[in-house]
This record gives sequence, C-alpha cells and structure tokens, in this order.
Amino acid sequence: MSGEPRIGVYICHCGVNIAGSVNIKEVVEYVKNLPNVVEVRDYIFMCSAPGQEIIKEGIKKCGLNRVVVAACSPTMHEHTFRNVLAEAGLNPYLLEMVNIREQCSWVHSDNRQAATTKAKLLIKMAVAKASLLEPLKEITFKVNKNVLIIGGGVAGLSSARDLARKGFNVYLIEKKPVIGGNVARLGRLAHVELKGIDIVKELLHQVVDNPNIHILTNTELVSVGGSVGDFKVKLVKNPRYVNENCNLCSECVKVCPVEVSNEYEFGLSKRKAIYLPYRNAYPPIYVIDSENCTRCFECVKVCPTQAINLAEKPEEIEVEVGAIVIAAGHEPYEPLIGEFGYGVSSRVITLFQLERILDEDGPTKGRLEVNGVQPKDIVFITCVGSLNTTPNAYPYCSRMCCSSTIKNALIIKEKVPNANIYILHKDIRTYSRGDEQLYLKAGESLIRFARYREAPNVIVNPDESINVRFFEETIQEPVSIPADLVVLSVGMKPPRDIDKVRTIVKVGCGPEGFLREAHLKLRPVEAATDGVYLAGTVTGPKNIIESIEAGGAAASKVSTLLTREEVRIEPLIAVVNDEKCSGCLICVGICPYNAIKLRIQGDARVAEVDPALCKGCGACVASCPTGAMQQFGFKDNQLESQVLAAFTE
Amino acid sequence: MSQDFEPRIVVFACNWCSYAALDLAGTSRMKYPPNFLVIRVMCSGRVDPQFILEAFRRGADGVLVAGCHPGDCHYIEGNIKALRRMTLLKKVLKEFGIEEERFRLEWISASEADKFVRVANEMLEEIKRLGPLRIEEAYQHG
Amino acid sequence: MEALSKPVLVIGGGIAGIQASLDLADQGVHVYLVERSPSIGGKMARLDKTFPTLDCASCILTPKMVSVARHPNIELLTYSEVVEVRGSAGDFHVKVLKKPRYVDEDKCIGCGECISKCPSKVPDEFNLGMSNRKAIYFLFPQAVPLKATIDREHCLYFTKGICRVCERFCPTKAINFEQKPETLELNVASIIIATGYELMDPGLAPTYGYGRYLNVYTSLEFERLVSSTGPTGGEIMRRSDKKHPRSIAFIQCVCSRDVKINPNCSAFCCMASVKHAILAKEHLPEVDCTIFYMDLRAFGKGYQEFYNRAMREFGVRFIKAKPAKIEEDPETRDLIVTYEDTFEGIKKSMKFEMVVLAVGVKPVYPEALPLTVGEDGYIRLRNPYLEPISTTIDGVYVVGVAAGAKDIPDSVIQAGSAAIKASIIAGGVKA
Repeated sequence: MSGEPRIGVYICHCGVNIAGSVNIKEVVEYVKNLPNVVEVRDYIFMCSAPGQEIIKEGIKKCGLNRVVVAACSPTMHEHTFRNVLAEAGLNPYLLEMVNIREQCSWVHSDNRQAATTKAKLLIKMAVAKASLLEPLKEITFKVNKNVLIIGGGVAGLSSARDLARKGFNVYLIEKKPVIGGNVARLGRLAHVELKGIDIVKELLHQVVDNPNIHILTNTELVSVGGSVGDFKVKLVKNPRYVNENCNLCSECVKVCPVEVSNEYEFGLSKRKAIYLPYRNAYPPIYVIDSENCTRCFECVKVCPTQAINLAEKPEEIEVEVGAIVIAAGHEPYEPLIGEFGYGVSSRVITLFQLERILDEDGPTKGRLEVNGVQPKDIVFITCVGSLNTTPNAYPYCSRMCCSSTIKNALIIKEKVPNANIYILHKDIRTYSRGDEQLYLKAGESLIRFARYREAPNVIVNPDESINVRFFEETIQEPVSIPADLVVLSVGMKPPRDIDKVRTIVKVGCGPEGFLREAHLKLRPVEAATDGVYLAGTVTGPKNIIESIEAGGAAASKVSTLLTREEVRIEPLIAVVNDEKCSGCLICVGICPYNAIKLRIQGDARVAEVDPALCKGCGACVASCPTGAMQQFGFKDNQLESQVLAAFTE
Repeated sequence: MSQDFEPRIVVFACNWCSYAALDLAGTSRMKYPPNFLVIRVMCSGRVDPQFILEAFRRGADGVLVAGCHPGDCHYIEGNIKALRRMTLLKKVLKEFGIEEERFRLEWISASEADKFVRVANEMLEEIKRLGPLRIEEAYQHG
Repeated sequence: MEALSKPVLVIGGGIAGIQASLDLADQGVHVYLVERSPSIGGKMARLDKTFPTLDCASCILTPKMVSVARHPNIELLTYSEVVEVRGSAGDFHVKVLKKPRYVDEDKCIGCGECISKCPSKVPDEFNLGMSNRKAIYFLFPQAVPLKATIDREHCLYFTKGICRVCERFCPTKAINFEQKPETLELNVASIIIATGYELMDPGLAPTYGYGRYLNVYTSLEFERLVSSTGPTGGEIMRRSDKKHPRSIAFIQCVCSRDVKINPNCSAFCCMASVKHAILAKEHLPEVDCTIFYMDLRAFGKGYQEFYNRAMREFGVRFIKAKPAKIEEDPETRDLIVTYEDTFEGIKKSMKFEMVVLAVGVKPVYPEALPLTVGEDGYIRLRNPYLEPISTTIDGVYVVGVAAGAKDIPDSVIQAGSAAIKASIIAGGVKA
C-alpha cells in the first residue's frame, strides 16, 4: 500500500441500538475533520446488503485505501466487513472496527452526551490506527481429513456416524471402558417402544462396521498441539487388562474375591473388580478396575481364552486431525447426603436409579422394588439440583427432567396400576414435541401434580416411613404426603473432568462449567476456537433427541471445514525485523508454542518466527528489547497511535 | 479538587476474556462510567509497559490492563507474563510519583461483566479522589 | 470450492432454511433455496431482539442472509413455490414455479426510486398490516435479494390499466409488466423442508376479543411494535389513541396447550413474552408488565436466568392463571382481564391499557410433497429418536418449526443435522 492513507469511516445506527444513545449527526461532523478521512457515511444497518454496498461504493468512488466501521463488536461483524473490503478489491486487513454498541451505546444509554463523546474518541483512535494499517496476506494450511471426537455418548456417536458416512476418518475416544454414555442406561423411552440401550445399539450398529471409524475406549486426551485443520493430538489408552478374546463366559467374575458398588447401576447393585458395566455394554469385553483389583490372579487362572493380562501398560497414541468435536456429555446431579433424605433412607432414590429399577435389564429385572418390597405411595420431586431449589443446586433448568419424570410415572402406573403417584414440581416444562400429550396422559392416568416453591421437606420417620411436607402453591396450604418411595428428579451438571479437557483444547465455559458456544443463537455447535466443535449436553442440558441432532449439526460443521483443501488463518502473527534484531533470543524463551527459532544470517544470529506455529499472542513483541519483533495488526506504532489519539485534542 | 473532573482511563483488554466481558456488559445492558477507552489486544501478554508509560505521559489519568484468569489464558500463560511485567512497572510508576491507584491489572473472564463494572467504578472513584495526574511533575520526579 | 455432487433442494428461507443451505453450500454441495415470499429471512427477520442475550435479530441474521445471496453454491429462488415433486432419494425431479415480480431481477439495483413514486398504498404484511407499503415494494429494507416486487392485486396498472409511474422512474428499466410465471425443472438428490409456521388464528379464542378490541395485539405484532424498523419506529403505542400504555398484560398459551383448539406447546412463546416484557420496560421504564402463564417454560440455556432477571431486575409480575376473558372499556379502550386467582380460588379482574396474546403456532407444509401428518398436526417422522429429522419419504428431511415448535438455536442445530445427511446423499452415499 503506497501513498497517503485515504480513510472512509462508516457509522452504523444499528436501528436505534446505537442511534438511540449516540448523536450520529454530531459524530459524523466530528469525524469529517479527522486526519486522512476522506469519506464519512452513516446508515441504519451497515451490515445489511445495502449497507455493505455503501462501503463498496465508497472504496471505489473515493479511492479509499483504509476503512473504519463504527458499529457493533468486532467479534460480531469484523468478518463480514473484511469480506466487503475483499469484494471491493481492498486487502481485508485494511479494516479497523470501532465498537460503539456493546462498549458504548448500550452501556451509556443513560447519558447521550457522554456516549456521543466516547463514540467520537473511539473512532478517532481507530482512525489513527487505521492510518498505519498494512495489507496482510492470509496464511493457508492443508486440511487434515481426520477428526477426533471426544466422548462416546449419543451425541458423539451421532457425529461419528455422519462424518464416517461422509467419508472422513473418525477417532472416537471414550474415557470409560464402555460406549453409550448416560443414554445406554435409560429404560424405556417416551413415545416409542425403545430403550436407551436400543438407541445406542442402533447407532453403534451404524458405526462399528464402518472402516472409517476407530473407537478407542478407556482413552483420554493428553495434549493438543497445532491448530485448525492440523491438530496434533496425544492420547493415552489406559489398560483394560482384558482383550478381544474374552467370550463373556463370566468364569472370572465367579472367582474374583473383590466386591464393590457398581457405579454403572448408580450403586443399586454390586460388581466385582473384573466386570461388565451392565448387560449389553459395548464393547462386550470384561474390564478390570485396577483401583480395586488385588492382583490375586484368580481370574487369569480360570480364563479359558487367556484374555486377561494384568501386566498391560498404558499406551500412548498420537493422531493428527483437522477438527475436534467435544461431546463429553454431562453427569447427573448427585444430591448431597441428607438433601431430601437422600442417603438417609434407601427409599429415597434419584430418577436415574429409578430408570435402572424399571429397566428389564436392570438390577431388579424391571420389577419396581425397593429393599425387596413394592412401593405404592410414590412421590416425585422435580428440580432437584436445578432452579436454585436448594443452596447446593444450580440456577438453570435441565429441560429433560419434567418429561422424563412423567414418562417414568406413567411406566409405574402400567406396572403397578394402583400406585398413588404425586409429582411435586415448580412448573411442568414439557415443551418438546409430543411431551405435552404425555403430560395430558399423566393427568388422565390420575397422576397427581402439586406445586411447590420452597424445597419440600422429606421426613424419614424412625420406623422408616416417609412423609413429604411442603407448601402447596395452588391451594395455598401446607401438605404432608406419606410415601414409601421418593424419587428425586435430578438435573444435569457438567462432567467432572471437563475443565481438564477444555483447558487442553482451549474452550471457554460459562459460570456453571458448561462449555461456551461461539454464539448462543446462531453458532450453537461451534467453539470460539477455530476447528473445535461442541455436541450434546457438554454445552448445557438437552434431551436425547436434541443431543443426537447436535451431534449431526457438529458433524455438518466439521464437514464444512474438512471438505476444503486448505484453511486460511488470520495473519495476525509475529514477525521479525532482521536488521533490528540483536539476536538476544529473549523471545525464544517467552514463546509458549516454540514458534521462534534461531537463524544464522551472515555472521549474525537473528530470531525467526514459524508462521505455522505462531498463534499471535504478541508476548514476544512485548518482551523484545529492540523493537525488532512486531505483531501484524498490533504493531507498537499502531497501538501507540491509539493511545496518542485518546489524548491529543 | 474540581467537581467536574472527568478522568480519562485507557483499558488494554485481551480479546478472549476481558474484551468479551466488556461486550457482555453491553449485551446485558449494564451501566458503567463512560471514562474508559478500550484498546483491544489479543493477549494481556502483548501489553508493553511502554504503552502504559506513554499513556500516562500523554494525559491518561489511569490505565487498566485486563486479561484472562491465571490458567485460562488462550495462549497458555500470556497473562502470567503480563503479571510479571506489570509488577515491575508498578515499581517504576511509583518512582515517577504516579499513585498506584492509577494503574491496575485485573483478571476478568468472559462471563465477568459485573466484575469489570465493579473495577471500573472503583477505579473511577479513586482517581477522581486523586484528581488529574500532573504528569510533568511526575516525570520530573523520575 | 467446487460442487462435485448432485444438488439439494431447501424449501423455506427462514433461519432453518438459511442455515441448512449455508452448511450444504460450505460442504461443496449445490443448493436451490426456494422461498415463497420476495425475500428470505422468515420470522426471525421480523424479530426485534432475541432472548436471552437480547442480541438484535437483524444484526445476527442479515449477515447470514447476505452470505446466502453471495454464496457461489447457492441458487436463491425467491417469490417461488415448489409445485411438483417426483422421484426418490438421490434422484428427485422438482418443478418450481417462479412467480412474476414484474421487475427484472438482473436489472433492479434496489434503489427504491419506484417505491417512493408509487401512488398505491397497501397494508404492509411484514408489519402485519400495522403500516402501509406501496404496491411495488421491498418486503423489508434489508430484504435479500433487494429487488422490488409488484403486488399485482394492488397495482393500479394491473387493476385499472393506468399509472406505470414506476416504469417511468426506474433508472435501469427493470420494470416489466409483461413478465410471466416461469417453471423451472430441478433434479436434486435430497430435499430439506424448512417451511416454518404461521400463527394460529387468534379468533379461535373469541373471549380474548382479538380483532374486536383495538388494543389487543398478537405477540408477533408486538414484536414489530417494539422494533426500531417497525411501524412506529420502536414506539410502543396503542392502536386506539397512539398513547404509550401504562400497563401491559401478556397472556400465554393462546390457542396452544388447549385440547379443544391445539394441544401442542409452542415452546418459544414463554420466553418471547418474558423478552417482550423486558423490552417494554426498557422502552417505557414506568410501564407495568404482567405475564399470565400456565407453566413458565424457561428451559433453554440462560432462559431461567433471563426469567429471574425479568422478575427481580425489571419487576415484571407473573401470575399463574389462564384468563377466562377480556372485556373492553368502550370509553377508554382499556382492557379488563378476568382470571381465576389460583392462590385465593376466586375470580379477579385487572385493568390493562394493552394486552398481548402469545398465540400458538401451526406448521406450514408444501403441498407438492405427499407427506403424512401425525395426530399432532406435524409431519410424521421415521423414528423420533434415531432419525428425528427424517420424514417417511427417504431423502426428505424436515427441520425448524415445521418439525415441531422450537426456538432459534434448536432450529439452527436441526438445520445442520439435516445438511450433513442431505450432503451424504448428494455425494452418492446412502444415509
């Protein structure tokens, strides 16, 4: 770019979002007199097609070589306007955005004069920086056609299925020894004659025979290097101690002396140290829980197929992928001991325990039984762990529990027609297609609904009987219901080790720990980090159908990336001025990505940045004593010009 | 001190956490004083102490550097590098006679719009109490 | 990126259809996007802000609309309808009727000169009749494509044989009164139905007096009323006297969750009304807002928090009741809402200056496809769990509200999910 800067400034009204608090006319007049500004225009929606046309026209008619757009946050539309510049034949990096909406009009809507003054200053700072902008060339990489999916629940499986069918190579990793996540242990589902495991089996059926899919159970993420299109991933496959020769004969289980509570049955039954998590578990291979195994070798001795090897070691696996899908799911909220009598009486159980009890494959073979007795008076309490019901609860709604509660209540009515069932709730949120009909059916089946606001009191009497006391909001009276089974409809919470995964992959999270989408409304399955996608309940509660859909949507986004031959990344990376570089190499130690290397230039040594590794943080720039190291788009003189413009009148 | 003293405060905000928090303050329609002018950088680790000295020299009454919480940095530990530099800078500022209340380094995550609002209000109040920075005097001290 | 596969047809240009088209096009699949009205954008284009972030709808939607128009793999067929579908998955033969705009799309530059000169005023359907447009018009100012359309029913030339003013003033000679309907024949691998919804007729709940009482609005009308691009420029004022209301009642579940009219829950109205109450408070800080609800279904991410803010921060009143009737004070045109107070078990009435009805939705489907509809009025699905977007016709998918009432993020997710399935078929692999 040669010659004097010729800057066009485009100011958006954003309907009344900006124009309502900022005096646009006054700003326009002010901006006209700023140095190098040759055109100023304002428009109701600069991002719309006609708005974009105004900019293109300006670039052509006024011979602009820099553009400043004062509108919303650059995270919203920087991309849009860069494209506009490119379409008008201008290098897209000759754009500077001014955030006069999120950081001005919206926060100063109570003070029009102050908002106007601030908008002027912000634009002035941007104009100063724009004068110093340079054209930049995007960096391109070849796209690796493999994809890593973290999590083997229904969302991950659905992503894997769609991507493999599309022809991409899929690595599906699951930390647990079994595929299927939470859905695999659900009993009969609403609206269909299917159980949770049937969904998982069908998805697996569509997945396992596809040569494009590599399922790795017992496998965890260790590290992720590289970036979009070219991630280098390290995994560790923890030992299962049992190989594919296992024929599920269960001789090992008979001899294993260790008995512990089975977490896969939510503690409703016991298992051995060598076990199959639940019937129909995939892969159909026993697993040894090394924490509880006493290394007695009894199982090894009896195994007829020599499938057991207690000497197995963790195995490091490296894969290269173009994209990563995080489908790490959720965990059910676990009530505290004493919360609604949980842990105090065995007659207080969670909804997930009830799912296991009602499941023909579960610990009671589908008989509704607690301590060997069939309960008759059953009270469900919804919003346990949700809507701030108790001090320990989360503030959000878990969205699937109302429907799930009603579905289970109806199943109980089928099995035990004379059961008295109460559902205590704050609101019934059967929003999903068909679920309202379920709610109506529950009413017809004489399941009784009662509303509470303050958390009900579950009183466990000395004779083991239970009373649920609460203030009924509709009749405005205190009520006490005797119960011989209390079911706590617990919500969802982020999985335990999600922080570890999200730190490795570099994805943000919200206040409760669910991962954050690039945009809540319109980019719900993308992370803010390029090349990383989010599927299922890892972003927040969802029902089964929604999770499967989210898996598909994430697959679609992955496919849009992997279909390309190459990706372009922003060239906002570090660059060395050889002449200024003194070869001190402070930057080499500073760089977190090992992107800076030493290069011998004649008899001098200088630093050199590998553009494929540099992520553009700028830490090396701030540490360079000679000013040789600079960052494109954030050069010292560019940032200083902003500081200067903020103060010189 | 003059009643109508309106300090001008520069904020260097990292793109991933703090800039997002400032945007969130807007989308949540929170209110904070209009005295803060934001300069976006990719990482708080990019902020050269020179910029801050320059800001004070040019007439800033305060400077805020805002980055991700330790452990949350998009670039692994750029914020920790910022912390080291800014700790040194604080000593330099002291030698120049610039009151320590005029400069702050804060960790503000993308969901902590309320924290930014609180920090902004605190800073503004303290700086208003101190009055305008007499820069010539300050630099002569140094 | 080149399209190497067979094309896919997307029917409906709302947010679901837009997203499905973009996802397909970005996967290198050629897309025909057919939209009945003169512009894409659908219902979302009519929204002012979106819950729970209060992002302005046009700010997030218009760039997507622009991307659709600009995408080399998308052929946008607006003002067009699918009239015939034959064939099967991998090989559908589709006839699309392109209605005449009477404006040459290639020549029209969207300058709007014709519109400013047109003498014929017509109720503006984009603003639900609350303002007027001309007989030659853009559906809305940010329409994509930004091409004028002549509404034959109201054009003076077509009705009375006079005028032709637009033709005289058009700088590019784009007006063509002789334009004829055109039938296009497409061969596509797969079809995605994203035809969305329409509101139920509020007349089905006659006790609320919609259409009889001036100050009773539907929620979509209220959306236009608070919008800066709406008929009042964002001023909330009453139809009867153009005054700001001092109190507004929002009534939920009108023509939905009602076994006699429509038992389905419309999924997004609760949050839309919470948003409306907050927006009303932002526009008119003194206004008193009351929401009458059955169950407040704040189920999505950030929704409960949004509902809490409405209560605590904005002081919106929530009353759990389904009002029995509304009466109008003939003098003041104020509205008396009668409801049963569930707390005290007695009939109560409250007076409001404006009432907004959260009217339920029903799906809209293209007639050209032999789809089966379930008892709930929505398309039957192959298997609601395993193939939640597959219709009973192989290779035909349904997304967005046409597949069941849902909010924007869920529509976007379904659109993506359908896109990959359609793209698999388009690429020649069986889904």
